[in-house]
Amino acid sequence: MFLTRSEYDRGVNTFSPEGRLFQGGTSRICYRGNQGKREIALDICLNINDGECFVFLQLGSTTVGVRTPEGVVLGVEKRVQSPLLESSTIEKIVEIDTHLGCAMSGLTADARTMIDHARVTAQNHAFTYDEPIKVESVTQAVCDLALRFGESVHDEDAMMSRPFGVALLIAGTDENGPQLFHTDPSGTFMRYDAKAIGSGSEAAQAELQDKWHTRMTLREAQILTLRILKQVMEEKLDQHNVQLAQVTKDNGFQILNETELRSVIEEM
Amino acid sequence: MANASAYRGTGFDFSNYARNSFLEKKGVPLPKATSTGTTIVGCIFKDGVVLGADTRATEGDIVADKNCEKIHYITENIRCCGAGTAADTEFTTAMISSNMELHSLSTGRIPRVVTAMTMLKQYLFRYQGHVGAALVLGGVDSTGSHLFTIAPHGSADKLPYVTMGSGSLAAMAVFESGWKPNMDRQEALNLVVAAVSAGIFNDLGSGSNVDTCVITKDHTEMLRNYRKPNERVQKENTYKFRRGTTAWTKEKIRELVVDETVVPLPHPVSAGGDAMDTS
Amino acid sequence: MQRQFNPYTENGGTILAIAGADFAVIAGDTRQTEGFNIQTRYAPKVFRLTDKAVLAVNGFAADGNMFVKKVKQRLEWYRHAHAKDMPLRAIARLIQTMLYAQRFFPYYVYNILGGIEDDGSGAVYSFDPVGSYERETCRAAGAAQQLVQPFLDNQIYFKNQVPPPGVAGGHPTHLPLDRVLSIVTDSFTSATERHIEVGDGLELYVVLAKGRSPQGLEGLRAAHVREVTGHTDGERVFVINQELKKD
Repeated sequence: MFLTRSEYDRGVNTFSPEGRLFQGGTSRICYRGNQGKREIALDICLNINDGECFVFLQLGSTTVGVRTPEGVVLGVEKRVQSPLLESSTIEKIVEIDTHLGCAMSGLTADARTMIDHARVTAQNHAFTYDEPIKVESVTQAVCDLALRFGESVHDEDAMMSRPFGVALLIAGTDENGPQLFHTDPSGTFMRYDAKAIGSGSEAAQAELQDKWHTRMTLREAQILTLRILKQVMEEKLDQHNVQLAQVTKDNGFQILNETELRSVIEEM
Repeated sequence: MANASAYRGTGFDFSNYARNSFLEKKGVPLPKATSTGTTIVGCIFKDGVVLGADTRATEGDIVADKNCEKIHYITENIRCCGAGTAADTEFTTAMISSNMELHSLSTGRIPRVVTAMTMLKQYLFRYQGHVGAALVLGGVDSTGSHLFTIAPHGSADKLPYVTMGSGSLAAMAVFESGWKPNMDRQEALNLVVAAVSAGIFNDLGSGSNVDTCVITKDHTEMLRNYRKPNERVQKENTYKFRRGTTAWTKEKIRELVVDETVVPLPHPVSAGGDAMDTS
Repeated sequence: MQRQFNPYTENGGTILAIAGADFAVIAGDTRQTEGFNIQTRYAPKVFRLTDKAVLAVNGFAADGNMFVKKVKQRLEWYRHAHAKDMPLRAIARLIQTMLYAQRFFPYYVYNILGGIEDDGSGAVYSFDPVGSYERETCRAAGAAQQLVQPFLDNQIYFKNQVPPPGVAGGHPTHLPLDRVLSIVTDSFTSATERHIEVGDGLELYVVLAKGRSPQGLEGLRAAHVREVTGHTDGERVFVINQELKKD
């Protein structure tokens, strides 16, 4: 398929008549860095092409989001690769705004750009409209950014050389209640009642489908999240190698501290 | 002042001029004079002259008087409409009216319109436009019907139909399309009403009612509020306040009826033989 | 001496808005002037933005019309981006940011925004040309502001009026619709009497909160009342047109 170069492989975002992106699959992706990263970049392009980015993203750590009528729970596995690693510096759940949180899986460095964009968008909205931005709107804003890769057209700002290599779970509350959105590198987003992404996502998602119900309490959601993480984790789950956060109407976004986390683990 | 008498010479008193120009430089603005924004018109017809005026007086963009009189008496057979600074038009016409009366007394004749016109323009010219009166002068005398405009700087025009004031263009448009020679009284009156109305409805400086004045050889008819096309509509509410609505901070009642006793002093005894000279 | 082009003119007229407990009235005369001339006897200064927001603009007419156009555009963009009508307080904030963006070449316009808040209460927001704003119960702006605002202060806020003894709570915080409408009418007929730039016509918008009956409107002659609501089962918007003196 990619053996012959054609006029459709000049830009990463130039589609062929069959609806394929060629550049991504060939050699001209310019990501200056080590070979491994370059491969990843190519993978991202290929996977977007096939609408299967999650295949690649399965390399990321497992991340779970659960929506309940009380609020949304986010949970991530922190892979502590070395006993010398300070686990508290692994940050995979972050605040976007007081009513919005985000968990990530994949190239977490890429998520910084997206989260910065989300934060600016949220602040800008609050500044301009004197109201919190909707969860869907902030998700849309992040996904708009996901497509700004390739070669810049005449006047436009310099674009990113490659797509993002990270998937996000965006949780928040607004006038439509607690919501959970999933975004992937293709710039698609979807709303979920419960969603798992990352390496253990297949098993985790199956478990969520089995256990999630509409009238779940926040506590039940916290426990469910941890149980699922425990199932897919290689190490023994403790307060150092997982992170839990929640977004509720009354208290907004909160990351659970070690004490709170321990109490959930004990109740598990 | 060398002369302690209360008498002042004729003409304007300029003694505050230096003070006021000093204050103006310091940023104290001069008081704004009431201006009769105004549409005034005049028109000659077969038997005489018809004058017309609106009745709005303004102070900037505020209506100061909704029904003022702008057709001033000069003599029985001469009237003058005034536009511009209200005080100037009132004062100037009143002064010329006095002088015309004196003139008529000393000549023993019915005064002529040109006389009033000449006196007015000479007076206005003397003040180089600082007396802000724009006038429409009309009347009938032994030489026939006459109609003039006199501008604030003292120039005069004699025309069969004239307009003055901020509504002059609107009114003139009506005259230019509707005027014809040798109109009868009613035709002329209707045209004048139409011309003033054009000013009232299209010029913001003019408004309210139409005053007219018809001067013929042996009769002058002042038609005050000849048309009233702008009566105020009834208010939706009444705005009467309950007794005790206004707050007060202190109450003090004073007795206005004062009792007093008058004690007559005993008659003083004369000390000597010299009685007071009361002559 | 140097002559300079002046990009602004002042086009007269007056606007006012009064908030009730569950309604808002936003009104303006329809005369547009320049100097001593009437440019038109019917130039609307009050505009329906959404079913719950009405904006009155007064000052330099060209700026006012452009500003309303841009606000409407932003509302449409918002609707597409967020799948809902912009709430009133969000519109108020948007207007501030739009005005302040022109801080050093301002829209020469006084804005009054009236409508219904998300909690169902009637609201009025007033702005200066560079975006300072405040929520109020009533506000007059424009040529006859100096004539109308003191009247409103007295009749709506009951300023300088001692409440009658023995009445619990003193003066009411909100007046019924029929009373508000009559005060608005009297404000404009009176301003017409004494201000040369006010007159010709009165255009009055009434915004009713969701579920509120149109009580207070039925007393008016039906021929002059028009409903301009966009969507059913929400807030309702009515326009009332009345004649004013034309001199």
